[in-house]
Amino acid sequence: MTRSASPSLPAARTTGRTAPGPDAPVAGIWRGVYRRLTGDAMIQILVIAVLLIGWETVTRLGLVHPFLLPRLSAVLERIFNNMLAGKVFTDLGLTLYRAATGFLIGTAIAIPLGVLMARNTAVRWFFDPLISIGFPMPKISFLPIFILWFGIFDTSKIVMIAFSCFFPVVSATYSGTLGVDKWVIWSARSFGATPNQVLREVVLPMALPQILTGIQIAVPVGLITTVVTEMLMGGPGIGGSMIAAGRFADSVGVFAGIVEIALLGAVVVKGVERLRAYLLRWHHEARH
Amino acid sequence: MSGQSSSGSALPADEVGIEIRDVSHHYGGRNGQGGVTALDHINLQIRPNEFHALLGPSGCGKSTLLYLIGGFIPVQSGTIATARGTVTGPGPERGIVFQNFALFPWKTVLQNALYGLEKLGLPKKEREERARHFIDLVHLTGFENAYPSQLSGGMQQRAAIARTLAVDPEILLMDEPFGALDAQTRRVMQEELRAIFERTRKTVVFVTHDVQEAVFLADRISIMSARPGRIQHVLDVAVDRSGGDEVMKRPEFVEIGEHIWGLVRDQAIAATRGAH
Repeated sequence: MTRSASPSLPAARTTGRTAPGPDAPVAGIWRGVYRRLTGDAMIQILVIAVLLIGWETVTRLGLVHPFLLPRLSAVLERIFNNMLAGKVFTDLGLTLYRAATGFLIGTAIAIPLGVLMARNTAVRWFFDPLISIGFPMPKISFLPIFILWFGIFDTSKIVMIAFSCFFPVVSATYSGTLGVDKWVIWSARSFGATPNQVLREVVLPMALPQILTGIQIAVPVGLITTVVTEMLMGGPGIGGSMIAAGRFADSVGVFAGIVEIALLGAVVVKGVERLRAYLLRWHHEARH
Repeated sequence: MSGQSSSGSALPADEVGIEIRDVSHHYGGRNGQGGVTALDHINLQIRPNEFHALLGPSGCGKSTLLYLIGGFIPVQSGTIATARGTVTGPGPERGIVFQNFALFPWKTVLQNALYGLEKLGLPKKEREERARHFIDLVHLTGFENAYPSQLSGGMQQRAAIARTLAVDPEILLMDEPFGALDAQTRRVMQEELRAIFERTRKTVVFVTHDVQEAVFLADRISIMSARPGRIQHVLDVAVDRSGGDEVMKRPEFVEIGEHIWGLVRDQAIAATRGAH
């Protein structure tokens, strides 16, 4: 069988190629670095730097009472000393452990339940009103009852965090799964995929962008809930340390906590963004 | 080439065909009461290895008929049978290509083409060979590792056609496959589809509302009426197709096109008036 001399591929050959070709390695990297330095990242860093310099200047000039706003350098010194003492790591570690455990438990329940709701009418009838009521309500109002049920240590905190993370993920999974169009499912079925294979191989990957959006909402919600429960319940952890510092009128200690939690939040949220970009590298949004 | 030798189906080619007997279909309502009648007592024999176009105005139920043949929606009344027996659900011997391509967007072109072959349980080496053969057949060589979102509409539809052809279906169902493409791309795709058909000789059912497209591609054309969908005419397009693109300019083609347009025109008008 002979193939026609040159395959007629109109226009598409040139317009279709958006993936980096083999011809663009070195120049491409430098262009990327340049764009990074001059683009959004640079502006973000600049804004934060201006803010921090302003903070230090205002406090050094004595324009604000150091009790209300301590010097940035004093705060950084405190963080440094706390690092040497290991306190930063136990605080951050504990907070991160609670946030991650709660988030994982909440998500592990939310994703299967969201899928079930999209596929089973009885499950949907039962959970839809509960989730409609639960989603907008301040979940932290359950904390007193969770403390009564699960005690004053980690369990009640983690349950509280899981509970907060559950709602954005379950509703994103539900609508994402429900929104998968029938053509792709029919395609898979026509190749002989069983219902279970259709779910695993088609529905879940198709719903992944939405599920990840739910997760991206749940992650900061989980961090907020962690710090708030720690503040309310005390003990080690960033929230607890900040409340303790506040009780002793130690504003440097409070600001040290704020800076630590800001850094932790930024790192975690960026990390989830990276994960999304990696998991959705096939998606339109991966190419801007 | 492996694809050519394996394109012979399990059954003798002349036994394959589609028998549609007294098929009606309703949407909405209960027990046939109320709702919309999409198909009204359809009787149609699609011959083995013919390229058959279902032509009609939008909303005439031609896609519904195609989905019934595909087994994607259950037959409510009447029967649809192929050489494999009565249709009760989807099956790999009835491949389908949709207007919106319906590729798996998280899979590359190659992985898409491999999907059906994995379901068939072929050995890995053969899967790979067949997928690459059909990617080559639709002129996508060099784009095996591209994701659908990186491709133009025409290329995505090529990939979808390769994915469906790779499992070597006896029947190829096509639901306005070029409807989402621009005019130039559509023209090229039509030529290539006809060329692929000449080489692989499957039974093709091709849904379209484009008279020219139907005349250019099909051996026979069923013209459907506006809702409720009925088969109004079945026409043979018995013309010499050698010469590719130039064919459309020949007087006999123009004549058939005019004739069919005359038949379709009233239905198209009825459909636009009845739509609201």
